[in-house]
Amino acid sequence: MSELVTLLVTSVLINNVILNQFLGMCPFMGVSKKKSSALGMGVAVVFVIVVAAIVTYGLYYLVLVPLGLEFMELITFILVIASLVQLTEMFIKKYSPSLYKSLGVYLPLITTNCVVLNVCLVNITNTYDFSHMLVYSVGTPLGFALVLYIFSTIRERLELSNVPKAFRGNGIALICAAIMSMAFSGLAGIV
Amino acid sequence: MRYILAALFFGILVLVYIGLYLMNKKTPLPEGCEDLKADCEGCHDFSCTHHPSHYMEKGE
Repeated sequence: MSELVTLLVTSVLINNVILNQFLGMCPFMGVSKKKSSALGMGVAVVFVIVVAAIVTYGLYYLVLVPLGLEFMELITFILVIASLVQLTEMFIKKYSPSLYKSLGVYLPLITTNCVVLNVCLVNITNTYDFSHMLVYSVGTPLGFALVLYIFSTIRERLELSNVPKAFRGNGIALICAAIMSMAFSGLAGIV
Repeated sequence: MRYILAALFFGILVLVYIGLYLMNKKTPLPEGCEDLKADCEGCHDFSCTHHPSHYMEKGE
């Protein structure tokens, strides 16, 4: 049990997918200008990663390994993620218009989010069992959503600050991201 | 035999993706969601459908 808690804390805070592994930088810079957008993107990423991780994990151990097709994992995972995003979007469009209003526009962006593929591949390369896979697949997108939301609150305040002209926009945002990254690396001592 | 299986499996995955893509495209948008746009100005990937250049009028 303590191993699972450690894995959860590690995946959310210490090995944070954005600030430590530098994955998912496109939505991190692109969708962090407003708190509402960051929250919508964060929730959509959590949903898609958890579902994609479970489906790819099952597909790998129940189809690819018995057929001896392990070398197909990368192409399989990419297609599964893309299909899953289409399915999720269609389902939400049909049955939950309110959810589509808040998440729908971010779903196609997630298809190209490398965090999703990274989680699916790490689950296989680290040979996690089902419980570890589930914890890691929940923790990683939670860390992504957390950092995205914190960063959006910083960027909203930056909009009101008197930033020197040369640093305005993405310049000061990247400096803030670097400081955040250093701050998060200090959490390594808690585990 | 393994490579035939691999090709078959790949074909099935592609067919599933195409099917789901077409079904998703045919599903009507809910009311009030016809003109949703992501507030994304992050990277300079012009092929991304969320890039603001796709929503600009000509000459803008």
